[in-house]
Amino acid sequence: MTLTENLFENLRMELRRGCLTLAVLAQLKQEHYGYTLRKALAGRGMEIDESTLYPLLRRLEAQGLLTSEWRDEDKRNKRFYRLSGDGQLIFARLVKEWEEINAAVTNLL
Amino acid sequence: MELLDRYLQAVKKHLPWQGQDDIIAELRANLEAQLEDKEAELGRLLTKEEMEEWLKQIGAPIQVAGRYQRQQYLIGPAVFPTYWYVLRLVLIWSTAIYSIAKVVETAVNGQGAEAYLNAALGLPWMWLISAAFITLTFAVIEMTGARFLSKMTPLAPMGPVWSPADLPQIDSSEKKPRSFALALAEVIFGCLFLVWLLLVPRFPFLMFGPGAWYLQASPYTLAPVCLTFYWSLVCLNAFELTWKIVVFIRGAWQGPKRWRHLSMHALSLIPLSILVTAPGHVLVQVKGSAPDAAGLVARVAEANSGIHKAVVLVVAIVVLQLIWGIVRASLDTYRNRVAAMQ
Repeated sequence: MTLTENLFENLRMELRRGCLTLAVLAQLKQEHYGYTLRKALAGRGMEIDESTLYPLLRRLEAQGLLTSEWRDEDKRNKRFYRLSGDGQLIFARLVKEWEEINAAVTNLL
Repeated sequence: MELLDRYLQAVKKHLPWQGQDDIIAELRANLEAQLEDKEAELGRLLTKEEMEEWLKQIGAPIQVAGRYQRQQYLIGPAVFPTYWYVLRLVLIWSTAIYSIAKVVETAVNGQGAEAYLNAALGLPWMWLISAAFITLTFAVIEMTGARFLSKMTPLAPMGPVWSPADLPQIDSSEKKPRSFALALAEVIFGCLFLVWLLLVPRFPFLMFGPGAWYLQASPYTLAPVCLTFYWSLVCLNAFELTWKIVVFIRGAWQGPKRWRHLSMHALSLIPLSILVTAPGHVLVQVKGSAPDAAGLVARVAEANSGIHKAVVLVVAIVVLQLIWGIVRASLDTYRNRVAAMQ
């Protein structure tokens, strides 16, 4: 990887980092377990590595933005996540912030 | 599946012990579902090579487990600026204190060049130990902050307390040109100081106050080396005054005086070195006519030893200040040159 490509990759990762949380919260308005959430996000153009998404879900739950429960589905015990009450409030504020940033950056570009 | 079990076992080994079973159970459910999807898509089981390739894509067990750690770094971005500032401060001060202590110890014990070499070789170890101690302290602060402060909402936004009003004034010592009045005052006060210094031998009370009569009546007197020290001081001040007058007459008083200060600082080592190298370290002696002169000799020797140690300490401090001044001046000169080239 050349120096320029390396720099671009770092900046791209930085740009994506904040967006990932918003994307995950948006998708968890409906209940999902880890793998189906990853598929749903990928289906909408937001690819996330397993090693990034699964720890992120646990962190968001520890911060009180998600709730989870273990449940059997297709003969397998899975952990299902969805937005908590606090998560919904914070998500609404983040969406507003996102729209403002998006509008400002679009104006600049 | 056996390879997946081995993979999960390797991940588990690097997970925090609290909740590791829960994390592995969740990860297993997700990876097994993903594997089933892959196999359904292919219409067959994955070969060993395909399975290895897939697990490789997910990541090395230690990296996957690392993502579940609460703390991803030893010292985070919030604490790092303070850590870096304290580290630099500690290294500078510990170097200064270590150097002074070693110079004094070596000089007082009468050790040679080998002792100085050993002291210099010990410097990197002292830096390493200081840096390790500071790093460890800040790592503990970071860990405590990450574990506990984030759970205490009122404490979380705490940061360094500061106010713009407390910011230091702009350092204008080098940039602001000296005024004519200040340069003239420096010359006048320099003359007065030299006159005062020249009058001291004739009127000792000008320096010692009432202590001059006590010194005259006491059984002690200053050693001849003190006279050499005195005349070296007079020469040094006369030289500095001449320099100031020349600068004043040439109308160059607005120029920078940093290197002049450093030169005078270096020359101030001459009088000090006269005291340090006094024969037998004798600066005070007993008057020959004093009653019980023999009994006082031991006390005077003790006093001379104490004075000698103090003078060695002063020399060490002056040398370190000089080195520090030269390093700073050289760095500033280099920066200015680089800035001028850009």
